[in-house]
Amino acid sequence: MMIPNRKEYLQQQAQAGQKIMGVLPALYPKELLWAFDIISAEIWDPPGEILKANAHLQATICPVVKRGLEFILKDSTLVNSGYLFPHTCDSLQNLGSQVRDLIGTPQPVYTFYNPKGTFNNATQNYYLELLRDFQSILEAAHGPLDPEKLIAACELGFAIDEQLLKIQSSRLSDQLDLTNLEYFQILRAGEYLSPEDYFDILSQVKIADHPAHSKNKRLLLSGILPPDAETLSLLDELGVTIVAEDLLSGSRRLPIAQLDAPADPYEYLADRHFILPPCSTRASSLDERFHHLNKLISTSNAQGVLFNIVKFCEPELFDHRYLVKTIKKSGTPILSIETELLPGMSGQDRTRIEAFTEMLDEGVLV
Amino acid sequence: MSLTRQLNYQFMKEFGAPALMALKNLKKHKPRPVSPTFGPPLKANKRLKEILSRHYFLARYVPGVKKVAWVTSGAPVELLRAFDIYTIYPENHSALVGAKKQGADFCSIAENDGFSQDLCSYARIDLGHMLSGKTPAGKLPKPDLLFCSNNICQTVLYWYKAIAHELNIPLIHFDAPFVAVEQSEADVRYMAQQLQDMIPVLEQITGRIFNLKNFEVILKRSQESSQTWGAILDSMQAKPAPMTIFDAFGHLAPVVSLRGLPVAQDYYHILQDEVEERVKLGIGAITDERYRLIWDNIAVWYQVRFLATFFAERKMNFVTATYTNAWAETTGFLDVKDPWTSMAKTYGQIILNNNLKHRLELMKKMIRNFSVDGMVMHSTRSCKPYSVGQFDLRKALSADLGLPAVIIDADIADERVWSEQQIQTRLEAFCETLEDTPHV
Repeated sequence: MMIPNRKEYLQQQAQAGQKIMGVLPALYPKELLWAFDIISAEIWDPPGEILKANAHLQATICPVVKRGLEFILKDSTLVNSGYLFPHTCDSLQNLGSQVRDLIGTPQPVYTFYNPKGTFNNATQNYYLELLRDFQSILEAAHGPLDPEKLIAACELGFAIDEQLLKIQSSRLSDQLDLTNLEYFQILRAGEYLSPEDYFDILSQVKIADHPAHSKNKRLLLSGILPPDAETLSLLDELGVTIVAEDLLSGSRRLPIAQLDAPADPYEYLADRHFILPPCSTRASSLDERFHHLNKLISTSNAQGVLFNIVKFCEPELFDHRYLVKTIKKSGTPILSIETELLPGMSGQDRTRIEAFTEMLDEGVLV
Repeated sequence: MSLTRQLNYQFMKEFGAPALMALKNLKKHKPRPVSPTFGPPLKANKRLKEILSRHYFLARYVPGVKKVAWVTSGAPVELLRAFDIYTIYPENHSALVGAKKQGADFCSIAENDGFSQDLCSYARIDLGHMLSGKTPAGKLPKPDLLFCSNNICQTVLYWYKAIAHELNIPLIHFDAPFVAVEQSEADVRYMAQQLQDMIPVLEQITGRIFNLKNFEVILKRSQESSQTWGAILDSMQAKPAPMTIFDAFGHLAPVVSLRGLPVAQDYYHILQDEVEERVKLGIGAITDERYRLIWDNIAVWYQVRFLATFFAERKMNFVTATYTNAWAETTGFLDVKDPWTSMAKTYGQIILNNNLKHRLELMKKMIRNFSVDGMVMHSTRSCKPYSVGQFDLRKALSADLGLPAVIIDADIADERVWSEQQIQTRLEAFCETLEDTPHV
């Protein structure tokens, strides 16, 4: 299976006249963009040195935000239909305004609020209004929405979700013959491929009929993003498989429960949003987060948990202390590594990962 | 509610607190040396101390008599007042800890328990207090509930979520959508609905019935306090300004933490009379005010005295700040005849929940109205919504108004972050630039 390179794919799409919107993390109604024939190019951790963004942001701002701004300032020709800043955290909230109101960009800047805290009927109704407002904003730039296209987009989104859930579940049951690196390359392809191309890739993932009964050690991964390629490959070398993940860029954007196939697209999008797994950025309660992680540990038979913490990420750091304490109490080994999203791995992290994986069998707390 | 506790609380309120204040007044304090560049201190300082000491003192006797809530500074507290809930403001308390230069100690307690050093220092201090019980205010009552709004930051929501879990108490959250362009009708409806939905929850927690008439009185009082506070800040448009922004950082406490109570309303009338009198008599906060400055962001609580003296000695006075203005800016939206919608507008549009275009325009207006010559921006690692965007705000203000400006990197309450030599060098360079800039 060939997964197209992110940059090359987007360049080809742009050259072919495809509308592309740059989207900052994390939650947004991508089906609505698809209905306007826009594909989303998600901006999480673009590679390269941070140069221009340092003139606009303090040293203590998280690297996801900094890299996002660096990407925008470099003005790639990849993005031709604007930038979308979903409301995720304080830093991204301000960055959206900073780019639109102070720095300026040739592309339009859009925002999308995600309600926080406890959800009830009022929240659901408000979310429906947010969807309608966003539709009007997109219509102003791209013409009237074709309702049939929105239904088709939701159906495609539904099919992608189903496929992803199947792949996740096969990973748990040891029916995927994929290295850690390959597994996350497939999952992350959804950040930039068109929905049709992404569905095609997902459909090609080979799922074995029976579990492989691998002797690899089993790990659960939690955080914002998966570790870099070098770390994932190191885990492969060490005989460790990431069997489940609780990542904002990954399964926290995949419904936790079975949804009905979309009939009313807006109802479907709202329902889907409110049954996403607990997440720090939505201010889910600590109990909800712990129970979700605990369930993932038990269903995946994970022998340890790796927290991949993005430096200065407040939502994750606030939850981290409680999650570590409670998971440790249950005897599951934990390793927390902090990342600034730089390529490569420090010698110290390598040693810690090696030591951690050696101890996984023994159930020693790190 | 036990009768003994009720009687004890009433006794302390009627006799204990006044006796304590009298005792404190009798106690002779050795006056701290004050730079001669300062004008006479505000007489209201004494009353301010009394009010705040009394509030913290009575807090010790309130458990079992009234429900106690820990509240964020931007939350619509008027609703809690309608249920006679005793409120404690952890941000205020953290600022107090910071001002006493104990921030690092409290932060370390939280850090040793697993909280990251990269988290907001107000939060770390409060979590340090929660874990240890330590406080320079004697003793703080444990909360029965938490009340927060993300209109000042998302951080408070994560922070209060941690406390709610630790203490196993309810958290009432007021979700205030960020005003990316302008507040929509849907935003207002959503917030107004949330406020009304809180009533049965608060009725259940307190066992009291909501009384709309009483609520309207509280709202009116709150609005009046905020408006008077706004008028006090506006008095600093006078030359010389009757107080400094460092005074205002202190006198801000009642409008933050006692908003909606008669004591705050009465206090601001006293302060307003005094500043008006000083304006009439031409009494300045510093003796020779040559340059007028604007402060951006929360105070550096552990260095207020250093900064005040540093600038006063250079004949520079901070006459306005985006921070102190925050509790006056949107109060005009409040309308007792339409409480829910107007509260949504008031609390949803405060500076930190509003876009940077709004902030830029607001700062320009303040710079014009207060005849400002220069700007000091405090870039604080604790507060992302206040700090992200400052570099470009500075650029825009320099380009549009030619305003000399400096940014200092520090923190609101964790003194470990303060780099004296580096900051002093930056400030001295800024002052030199300012002195070389012709001003009208």
